[in-house]
Amino acid sequence: MSSNNMSGWESYYKNEGDEEEEQEEGLEAGGDYSYSGRDSLIFLVDASRAMFESQDEDELTPFDMSIQCIRSVYTNKIISSNRDLLAVVFYGTKKDKNSVNFKNIYVLQELDNPGVKRVQELDKFKGQEGKKYFEDQIGHGSDYSLSEVLWVCANLFSDVQFKMSHKRIMLFTNEDDPHGDDSAKASRARTKAGDLRDTGIFLDLMHLKKRGGFDTSLFYRDVIIAENEDIGIHFEESSKLEDLLRKVRAKETRKRVLSRLKLKLNKDVTLTVGIYNMVQKAYRPPPVRLYRETNEPVKTKTRTFNVNTGSLLLPSDTKRSQTYSHRQIVLEKEETEELKRFDEPGFILIGFKPLMMLKKHHYLRHSLFVYPEESLINGSSTLFSALLTKCLEKEVMAVCRYTPRRNSPPCFVALVPQEEELDDQKIQVAPPGFQLVFLPYADDKRKVPFTEKVMANPEQVDKMKAIVQKLRFKYRSDSFENPVLQQHFRNMEALALDLMEPEQAVDLTLPKTEVMDKRLGSLVDEFKELVYPPDYNPEGKVTKRKKGRKEGMTCSPRMIRSLE
Amino acid sequence: MARSWDKAAVVLCMDVGLAMSNSFPDEESPFELAKKVMTMFVQRQVFAENKDEVALVLFGTDGTENALAAGDQYQNITVHRHLMCPDFDLLEDIESKIQPGSQQADLLDALIVCMDLIQEETLGKKFEKRHIEVFTDLSSPFSRDQLDIIIHNLKKSGISLQFFLPFPIGKQGGTGDRGDGSLLSDHHGPSFPPKGITEQQKEGIQMVKKVMMSLEGEDGLEEIYSFSEALRQLCVFKKTERRSMPWSCQLTIGSNLSIKIVAYKSITQEKVKKCWTVVDARTLKKEAIQKETVYCLNDDDETEVSKEDTIQGFRYGSDIIPFSKVDEEQMKYKSEGKCFSVLGFCRSSQVHMKYFMGNQVLKVFAAKDDEAAAVALSSLIHALDELDMVAVVRYVYNEKTNPQVGVAFPLIKDAYECLVYIQLPFMEDLRQYMFPSLKNNRKCTPTEAQLSAVDALIDSMSLVQKDEEEGTIEDLFPTSKIPNPQFQRLFQVGSVNPAENFRVLVRQKKATFEEASHQLINHIEQFLDTNETLYFMKSMDCIKAFREEAIQFSEEQRFNNFLKALRDKVEVKQLNHFWEIVVHDGVTLITKDEAPGSSVTTEEAKKFLAPKENANADSAAAFEEGGDVDDLLELI
Repeated sequence: MSSNNMSGWESYYKNEGDEEEEQEEGLEAGGDYSYSGRDSLIFLVDASRAMFESQDEDELTPFDMSIQCIRSVYTNKIISSNRDLLAVVFYGTKKDKNSVNFKNIYVLQELDNPGVKRVQELDKFKGQEGKKYFEDQIGHGSDYSLSEVLWVCANLFSDVQFKMSHKRIMLFTNEDDPHGDDSAKASRARTKAGDLRDTGIFLDLMHLKKRGGFDTSLFYRDVIIAENEDIGIHFEESSKLEDLLRKVRAKETRKRVLSRLKLKLNKDVTLTVGIYNMVQKAYRPPPVRLYRETNEPVKTKTRTFNVNTGSLLLPSDTKRSQTYSHRQIVLEKEETEELKRFDEPGFILIGFKPLMMLKKHHYLRHSLFVYPEESLINGSSTLFSALLTKCLEKEVMAVCRYTPRRNSPPCFVALVPQEEELDDQKIQVAPPGFQLVFLPYADDKRKVPFTEKVMANPEQVDKMKAIVQKLRFKYRSDSFENPVLQQHFRNMEALALDLMEPEQAVDLTLPKTEVMDKRLGSLVDEFKELVYPPDYNPEGKVTKRKKGRKEGMTCSPRMIRSLE
Repeated sequence: MARSWDKAAVVLCMDVGLAMSNSFPDEESPFELAKKVMTMFVQRQVFAENKDEVALVLFGTDGTENALAAGDQYQNITVHRHLMCPDFDLLEDIESKIQPGSQQADLLDALIVCMDLIQEETLGKKFEKRHIEVFTDLSSPFSRDQLDIIIHNLKKSGISLQFFLPFPIGKQGGTGDRGDGSLLSDHHGPSFPPKGITEQQKEGIQMVKKVMMSLEGEDGLEEIYSFSEALRQLCVFKKTERRSMPWSCQLTIGSNLSIKIVAYKSITQEKVKKCWTVVDARTLKKEAIQKETVYCLNDDDETEVSKEDTIQGFRYGSDIIPFSKVDEEQMKYKSEGKCFSVLGFCRSSQVHMKYFMGNQVLKVFAAKDDEAAAVALSSLIHALDELDMVAVVRYVYNEKTNPQVGVAFPLIKDAYECLVYIQLPFMEDLRQYMFPSLKNNRKCTPTEAQLSAVDALIDSMSLVQKDEEEGTIEDLFPTSKIPNPQFQRLFQVGSVNPAENFRVLVRQKKATFEEASHQLINHIEQFLDTNETLYFMKSMDCIKAFREEAIQFSEEQRFNNFLKALRDKVEVKQLNHFWEIVVHDGVTLITKDEAPGSSVTTEEAKKFLAPKENANADSAAAFEEGGDVDDLLELI
């Protein structure tokens, strides 16, 4: 491969961070913080004695499970959304620590950005040692009032100076009837929970395993009234950390709608939908510039000025220009924007095609998710639901023209129906709605010079089938961590904690060759015998027959003429 | 973006011979159509601002001007323009300078002149592609005896060919997809053999087919276009496609099994590359403008500090951690260089399309000229296909790039087979949002009536045509064959949504009703010329918009005249299928009930849509000679 060729490929990688693209991606990256404010989340953990008892020797205690789960949310938030605010509150404690001096309530961490020190603090409560540490430092109390606990949480929210977009409390407990013997306390707790709801604070129950089962009907059913957005999502109790983690994740990542748009079925019928991003490339955060003396971040300012006069230029002092074949075209900035304008933002239905006509290999860019949006046009959900039902039944997809924003060109998309799917824990693994699949334009397809077809014979194919069968595994979309990001954050962690050596991230993207070789045994040699000539070396450098341009050029049409 | 590795030398080879000007009275001549196609091509070239060079060779010219001409050899062939960057001059030449000739010239002679031109004029320059585009009606005689030598030399010198003809040739088969349903065939317009062509032309078609088959196999036939096809799909020009660079590697399964492969990007989003430069509003010069970035502390005075006094750091949650570039380079993840390694195999249903990510599709073939590799890869492709499984692989482009995990699935076509690679997400890239169930939710449960209405909507808006007998499904709206309107926008604004544009124009009084309707009628004409259902629909939108606005603006007479003229034109051009749509949609003359200025009664309007013999024959008489765009306009 010549260096020229290389640059062709490389330019693509450099383009990954293209400014314009970044801007666009930024818009799609999942909602804009500046409008919506920060998400805030309080982990409220029952610290009564029962939370520290495991039913089995090698089973985690409910408290341990809760702490590990919270830690994982912390480290995830550091990576994904470090502006969000998190807090940890224990209740049922001996010591108390809160702004209103209520008994049996211990605010371990107030609402703040997650950071290394906080993660380290959480680590102290892990495992057997953690249990001891808890008992020494905080201890179990004999009593508490849930209404007071919720009051303290409400105070934590109101102490925050930032604008908050979303306030949520996750309650970890294995006690299904906290105030069974005190109906006045129970009633106060219900009232307080209602107050929280009215002020826009969501309360989720992360109920943990209890001997004899956790009965939500005793108390929590009235306290935790599923909010509108969560209709139909009810969890089972969690007895495994993995299950708990999934439930917590599902709740802690708040849905951010990319945009709300009209879907025009025809001239007269329109519904509104919300567009969501379910897959989004996670990048290493951009570096910040720090002042060498103090390590404080510095601000950057960009200004435009005239070289000749030295005077600063306002946006109105500039125009946009392009040169096409020696002719200069000059436009105002706004006009260049208008060049990109085609339709009003939204979907225009073109028609329907059978699902089987969707070509997997015509992938253009990652898909989005479409769900009805009732807030703009009433009845959208009903019509959407009818459309989804019928598309599933008739196995068709809707082909639409999609204009994501004003000033963005339209593209063709397929709305592929997706049926709701729950797993055995009743956790939703696929939401009901449409996958928005981008379809390529003719310009996006390239012709590739393909290699001549040489078919393998059935014996060779069968041998390969045996190899494939030996290396079967169940693919899960969350099986692979990004080794680049993981290493980056491990490095950050090591520097933040002044560790000598950063922990090496396990690279899950590397093939487990030893295991594979062992599983395959003699199959590989048998296959090679069937397909490769004895002296063939598939690793070796190709000894290219010199097929230089010279040779191709020597016989010119002039020679043809001379041949006549 | 200048990409020298992607540079092409293109010769436009146009027949201007006697027969090219012949046409049915109501149709544009092949000469005019060829010019239109060439204009579109050159426009695209000009605006794409790449380094490609274009030459123009005419054959059938009255004069002779080429390097090979001697005695009675290579006569009536003129090199109009040598290989150079296309510009507005070339556009203007095509528009007005090229005139029909009165001679005939041998197409194969013209091809040799083009080949000679490419070879002589690319000497010492680096061109990745050499390409000849031939525009002809094939009605001139040619001498076959050099055909094999020509084919041999085209192959040898890597020159590719495309033909543009006034009529479609019958294309059969093509590349059937096995991976996604071999029953599907894309709609290419009429595929019947062209009517009314001469024996000479038939012979020409055979010759052209032979050339293309010898050069590219079955796929070669795909490179023979009719003018109307070309006008619809700007993208047919092989040239404007980006060339994919080969990426060679070994597909490995464990440590002992590797297969030599080569991969190419097959789909990647093309964006308008050229961006706008900021220029001074007065001088229109960019040199006068400079941008500068300064750093300052977050204090009240915003004290400036020099870049040298700053270091790099990263946010880690609430902490900001100083981390110099040098440290970063040393501590960061390092991939071990290029690879395409299988991590394992799984059921294809487990890797859902909704997880696909990244911005490209790679097609993975066995290494070139390596039969052993081809057989090995073929075994894998067929094993996966038969087991309905896919490979999950680690893909690293080179040692400087980050590793990806992706899926490789089999794609088996008549002409070739390959693995298709698409990136999959890492755990960090996923968002697990949950949404309220739509079932068992009283608030959004549709009624039976609503469900059957949607059912009917789906049936009425089907974009496919099923042939029960043949068991085939025809795609009436193959989106991947439609060019991106953004690329056309730069030089052709207005045809994307003409009906809407028309409304805006007349309502905002940006143009007089007369001007706006002329524009609209032109669009309608163009759409109808394609003779394709999709564009019929677009025409209908235009006609309906015209009608509505005409009533609004008391321009009913203008619309009625147009519709009358259209009816007759449809008859002459035998666009009965289109007229059926008009009748079906009940789009008729504007009556005096709708607009006081009209003299048409409801009865007359109804009659207007009735079969011809009942209708008023007056206006039709004027069109017996065959109408044209201009006639339609004159009536208004």
